[in-house]
Amino acid sequence: MNEESGFTRHGNNAFIAQFSESEREVLINLAGQIIELLSERADHGDEDPLAAMVGITTHDSPPDDDVLLRLLPNAYADGVDAAEFRRYTESVLRNKKKAHAMSMRVLLKSAQDGGIELDHDNALAWLGAINDIRLALGVRLNVQERSHDELELLAPDDPLRGVYAVYSWLGWLQESLLQALMDDSPNEVN
Amino acid sequence: MVKTKSKIEEEIQAIFNSDKPWVTIVWDDPVNLMTYVTYVFMELFGYPKERATELMLKVHNDGKAIVSTGSREEMEHDVARLHEFGLWATLQRGDQAL
Repeated sequence: MNEESGFTRHGNNAFIAQFSESEREVLINLAGQIIELLSERADHGDEDPLAAMVGITTHDSPPDDDVLLRLLPNAYADGVDAAEFRRYTESVLRNKKKAHAMSMRVLLKSAQDGGIELDHDNALAWLGAINDIRLALGVRLNVQERSHDELELLAPDDPLRGVYAVYSWLGWLQESLLQALMDDSPNEVN
Repeated sequence: MVKTKSKIEEEIQAIFNSDKPWVTIVWDDPVNLMTYVTYVFMELFGYPKERATELMLKVHNDGKAIVSTGSREEMEHDVARLHEFGLWATLQRGDQAL
């Protein structure tokens, strides 16, 4: 992608970006990983099919995996309230997040030339999907404990260096989409 | 600071008087971009940019901020939407110590 542009606004409701083939592949791959991660559940065995149909799950414990716990956090500090809320809402939340990532993945897959045009609703889904990917990578990078200076100085052979590069690029991409969305004076009015 | 204190008391009083004893709190997170948090507040709550920015800065500087008040059901709805967009949010009774 052109480092200078990212997403730009065209008219009232079009947000356009041009991705290189490798950027497109990275985004498709990461969106796929998020979808896969959100589809996992260790203790699915005794799911009540009728309850599942209306979005109620029989489990109510927070996820063991740190990434999933960040994507599906507790809504209450109190454990009992948090469990009750999770029971009735977690599967809906998973599906909404999956829908964001799927929206991004489908559009990228169909854009063979890397040209993407989003309307406002698609842009929201992309913002959410990019953010979920950044949250997931942030857990892996331990951003909570490490400063950005520390991450900038990762050794060239450190496997986390590549992860950090993608994490930073996604932040830049998300910022460009946000600027385009918040730009009140579009430069190209159609 | 007397002024700040009385302002907090006013806010607490407002919570009790308004018949809306629950609050949604957003916690600081090192991953979420400041622009993103501001935009989510604008988009989900319909807050003007100035108010959304002020709340984002409060989250950033103080580690947390009350972003909405209302009934328990309303706050559960707000928390669910904030979670959908990856913000770290919880709800609690407004009279619990923040």
